Amino acid sequence: MPKAKILVIDDDPDIALATRLVLEKAGYEVLEARSSAEGLAKIKAEKPDLIVLDVMMESTTAGFQTALTLRSRDPKSEYKEYSTIPIIMLTSIHSTTPLRFGPEEDYLPVEEFIDKPIDPEVLVAKVNALLRR
Amino acid sequence: MSTPSSALSLLAASTTRGLAGNNRRLILTRWLAGVVVLLATAFTVHGLRLPLPEAPLYLVGCFILAYNAVLAWLTRRAYTPDDVAYGQRIQRLVLWQVGLDWLSMWVFMHLTGGIASPGITFFFIHVVMVTVLLPGQSPYIYAGIAVLGVVLIALLEGAGILPRYSPLPGVTCELCANPMYAVAQVLFLAVGLFATAYITASIIQRLRLRERQISALLQTAEDVNATLELGDTLERLAINAALALSVSGASIRLLDSSGETLQMAASYGLSRVYLEKGPVALSASQVDREALSGQAVIVHDPQRDPRVQYPAEMAAEGIQSVLAVPILGRRRPLGVLRVYSRDANRFDQEDADFITAIAQQGAIAIENALAHDALQRADHERAQFVRTVTHELRAPVTGAQSLVSLLSRNIVGELTPEQRDIVDRLEKRFDLLLALIGDLLAFAASKAVDLKQPLVPVSLTTTLQQVVERLAPQAQHKGLDFSLNLPPEPLTVQATEEGLARIFDNLIGNAVKYTPEGGKVLVSAWREGPSVHVSVADTGIGIPAEDIEKLGQEFFRAANAREANITGTGLGMTIVKQLLGTFGGLLSVQSMVGQGTTFTVTLPLAAEGA
Repeated sequence: MPKAKILVIDDDPDIALATRLVLEKAGYEVLEARSSAEGLAKIKAEKPDLIVLDVMMESTTAGFQTALTLRSRDPKSEYKEYSTIPIIMLTSIHSTTPLRFGPEEDYLPVEEFIDKPIDPEVLVAKVNALLRR
Repeated sequence: MSTPSSALSLLAASTTRGLAGNNRRLILTRWLAGVVVLLATAFTVHGLRLPLPEAPLYLVGCFILAYNAVLAWLTRRAYTPDDVAYGQRIQRLVLWQVGLDWLSMWVFMHLTGGIASPGITFFFIHVVMVTVLLPGQSPYIYAGIAVLGVVLIALLEGAGILPRYSPLPGVTCELCANPMYAVAQVLFLAVGLFATAYITASIIQRLRLRERQISALLQTAEDVNATLELGDTLERLAINAALALSVSGASIRLLDSSGETLQMAASYGLSRVYLEKGPVALSASQVDREALSGQAVIVHDPQRDPRVQYPAEMAAEGIQSVLAVPILGRRRPLGVLRVYSRDANRFDQEDADFITAIAQQGAIAIENALAHDALQRADHERAQFVRTVTHELRAPVTGAQSLVSLLSRNIVGELTPEQRDIVDRLEKRFDLLLALIGDLLAFAASKAVDLKQPLVPVSLTTTLQQVVERLAPQAQHKGLDFSLNLPPEPLTVQATEEGLARIFDNLIGNAVKYTPEGGKVLVSAWREGPSVHVSVADTGIGIPAEDIEKLGQEFFRAANAREANITGTGLGMTIVKQLLGTFGGLLSVQSMVGQGTTFTVTLPLAAEGA
């Protein structure tokens, strides 16, 4: 069975490195992108099995916008065939607002949230669950 | 919001109350007058045994009492909550009273010597009363009618149609038959009555003006303190200024930041066309330049006064007089308050003094509002700054912490025991650093709550359940007996969702953190009257008595907490207190070192159905 392919979109190279090493150790193939635009291009080029997406990049909500672009309900969306790729969103918002918001399809079309800093066990557990290992 | 109509109705109400009071007094006095006529007649006839037209005088006394009874009854019936309508009814009643009084006084005068009657002086009392009670020209009309009645009686008596009674019992009046005497009496009476009416009217007018000005000033002082919304306050000042002087309009213009142009800030009674005629440039408006230099300016003829910038527009608006006074701040002039009248030569120095007083209130309002705005902006900017800084701090720390976790979880290879020890210490340091950043962020947010977010009804029940659920794994990890007691009915308080959660996150989080393994943390909520209490009781390390009052201080940590090597930022309780203050809540603490601590939060319940 080929390794599942995971795309990490994060502008922070340290977080991206940590995420990549954790996931590689868990047996995944990991690609990196440093911005929303690069991420969207890599999604088209590589068609990953899962996306780890940072919220705050070039703007404070760049990750939200990327997720919304991917999950667009517009039937003519150029990302239509990628709209089912599971997304884990990396946030630093949870720890600053005590009320947690869960994935809600109408609000934010992602499967999971993970707080920064990244806890390796939590990350691997959530990725495994989404990829049904 | 005080609108012109409400301000006017206030004036109408106070005028009506005054009128009604005077009407009551008039009726009371008349009871006395009727009784005095009856008693005096009886005493003169039976006590002094002097000849008097006894029966007619009794009749006059009874007539006075009779119509007074009817008037008293009508007065009671006239009451209506509508001040304007009530005022009109009372005025109609006063007209009737005076008319009937005139009739009885003519008869009384006739019976007590006609033109030579000593009772003729009573007319003066009545003219004063009528002038106080009735507006405009009616006092003069009544004075005229009184004189005509006296002339008629003199004529009828002179012609022998009516009998002539002596002025005093037993005193005959030779003079009374002399036409010259009659004419002189009537003339003096007429001049006296008209002069009395005139003098009384001018005194009353000045009194009323003063009264209006005082109430306008009081109202203005109240308005200035009632709100920090500058627009509203200035609007009310303009209204008060115009109404107090009974003039057609008022405007408040404020100097803009260039200091060269006056911008319209509030106005009353001016047409849109006039308001939109354009900004007032100081270089073009000598009136405003003079006013801003600190003196009141009265313009008697705006069409010809060279100091006026927009004479044609003023003519079109029908403005015949202008009074402009400076609004002087503590350090600099702020603007100009103008009042406009459609009458020429309307304003004098007294008006200028009064409007200057209103303008001083305006200056206070403006400076209050500016100071409030500046404070709010500064507070907001500071909160924003802390937010930005902490976000910027968070990114590198989370990056570093994520990297360290690669080492601590052996993802990049096994560590030697020494390396592991160092990495563990690093992780602990990062944890504390992150907690500190999180608290700083929350602290900034708690300061910003009252500025940014409105308070809304938030379910305390749900908040407590969520916080307890969130902390449950941590409590379980320490083997704590961790429970939540909620009443069956839902509890709702006025707060912000984030703020309320933050309060209990801190209090319950602390309880879990400072309670040793195997201990107990109990969270209970109960309702008591209009309040709800939430207690967070633990069997933790406790807080030394001398430290309890320092709990709210920023970065303060109790000595035993520091010694126990439990990490913390010392901001949590500051945040709790800050937020509780914003939500109108209270915090009380009971603690014994080594036994445990109970924090009790009291919050007002949100209104039912909210």
